[in-house]
Amino acid sequence: MSTLVLTRKQSRVLRELNTVLTVMAREVTAYLKSPGAAIMSLAMPLVMMGMIGGNLMQNMAGGLGFEFGQFMLVGMLVNMLFMITSMGMASMVDDHDIDFNQEMLVSPVSRYSLVIGKILGSAFAGIVSMAGTLVVGLIMGITLPLGKLLLILALSPLMCLTGGALALIVIGLIKNRKAANLAVNLIVMPQMFLSGAIIPINNSSGALMVFSRLMPMTYCLDLARAVVYAGTPEYDSVVMFNPMVNFAMIAVLTVGCLIIGTFFFARSEKNR
Amino acid sequence: MSVIEVNNLVKQYKGAKAPSVDGISFVVEKGEFFAFLGPNGAGKTTTISILTTTLSKTSGEVKIAGFDIDREARKVREKVGIIFQQPSLDPQLTAEQNIRFHACLYGMCGYRPTFKMMPAAYRKRVLDLAEIVGIQDALFKPIKKLSGGMQRKLEIIRSLIHTPAVLFLDEPTQGLDAVSRRGLWDYINDVRNQYGTTVFLTTHYIDEAENVDKVCLINHGKIAACCSPEDMRNSLLRQELILDAEDRTALTNELTALGLPFTVNGRVIVPYQESAQDVISRLQTRLTVLRIHEPSLEDAYVEFLNKSGRDAA
Repeated sequence: MSTLVLTRKQSRVLRELNTVLTVMAREVTAYLKSPGAAIMSLAMPLVMMGMIGGNLMQNMAGGLGFEFGQFMLVGMLVNMLFMITSMGMASMVDDHDIDFNQEMLVSPVSRYSLVIGKILGSAFAGIVSMAGTLVVGLIMGITLPLGKLLLILALSPLMCLTGGALALIVIGLIKNRKAANLAVNLIVMPQMFLSGAIIPINNSSGALMVFSRLMPMTYCLDLARAVVYAGTPEYDSVVMFNPMVNFAMIAVLTVGCLIIGTFFFARSEKNR
Repeated sequence: MSVIEVNNLVKQYKGAKAPSVDGISFVVEKGEFFAFLGPNGAGKTTTISILTTTLSKTSGEVKIAGFDIDREARKVREKVGIIFQQPSLDPQLTAEQNIRFHACLYGMCGYRPTFKMMPAAYRKRVLDLAEIVGIQDALFKPIKKLSGGMQRKLEIIRSLIHTPAVLFLDEPTQGLDAVSRRGLWDYINDVRNQYGTTVFLTTHYIDEAENVDKVCLINHGKIAACCSPEDMRNSLLRQELILDAEDRTALTNELTALGLPFTVNGRVIVPYQESAQDVISRLQTRLTVLRIHEPSLEDAYVEFLNKSGRDAA
């Protein structure tokens, strides 16, 4: 028998960061081993950007006061992060089915670390889709300045965290894959249409305006557009809120969703 | 010193008409090898799930290593390791990646993307454990390609990698061949001897519980008995002599004359309390069969279940 014993050396903070990294790495490993997931995350930009976006550009882009292609590209980039991260979160149901959630929850780490690792791991596929969207945009003749693109990339983990945390609230309560897939659509679709990913919402009013203000993606999109349109004449007609307001709203909604979602997730696994 | 303290524990699942665990109480001492036995649905896995903090209780008090499972759940998790009844491996990862995931979550080492990049101590421990349970050739294969028995061995390695103070084994040898079972128990005994690990076992292989320090029988969510295996055997069953003779009638007449109770069931079965020698030395009939039947824990367990079934009826 080995006399060599591994000892716990890490501080609490390092240990939680290591947990986030470990869970994230598991998601990325699983993604890289799944050709279907890779094909899916590359096919989505073709459908979303190429087909939906292309059609809108050709038929409905006139009279906006700004160039619709770039507006939509930014919207699609953020939408991809939200959509694919949310879809990835549905794999929590699979983890429940194979009892892997129990393996994670019996470990002496924060539930938040487990959940954040899961979200950031799911975000990897979202970032691949984001890259795919950029390629499709390039083919369509829509580009972004490299510096601004890098800024959006730097913001992308925060946006994924927001999207994943929102998905967690619903998926944390669901124990059935079909229901989880439906739930993801219910989360993703309203956000895509109400938060201004492909359709401007500057003139929304009534219930639609209220819903749009409740969507975390609204603030992520507005922040991304503030980055892209900063210093341009179109800034005022495209960007709705001060970037600090966007940041504050993203922070509040993300933290709120994370707390509620993690509570639901841990509770649903433990309270049977 | 008690390392597991369970006091009036109750668990009733949502929508269930009756509690699965109904007011059980017991203690397990530090370093003790404790077996929790009972038929399917008795409440064993429910109890283990509560003790390892993966399932909420309805009421009662539970402390592991002095920590309350509700208020100090994280400290409890630091102390325990578990082999779940159902496999809980990620089929998308390799065997080693599953172990690495566990070791990193338990803070044994920082995560690295490949086995070769992991610390030498981790690599050595994984290779040593893999050799002990005989899966060194399967260590880098995807879980999907491992047999059920191999997966079980992998879970055993995973549960031991962080050397827990209390090891919960929920039917750990289910699906293992005889050689692997023996290897596992040898290793667990080594772990107990070296680290003083407390082992909490549930199993359907009652022979695995023969050498435990204490056994608790649970049935219908209630503790029916809690004592040493020897006391259980003695309280439930008598030892027996199995005898036969060419002249069986002479033998049975002699037993009757000596006032010794017996039954004839293929052979002549003579129960005794103290010493087999006392019985044999009093017999004059020439014997053709002489066997001493020492009841096993399994015999006692089956008798207990039959008895409790009759009582329930």
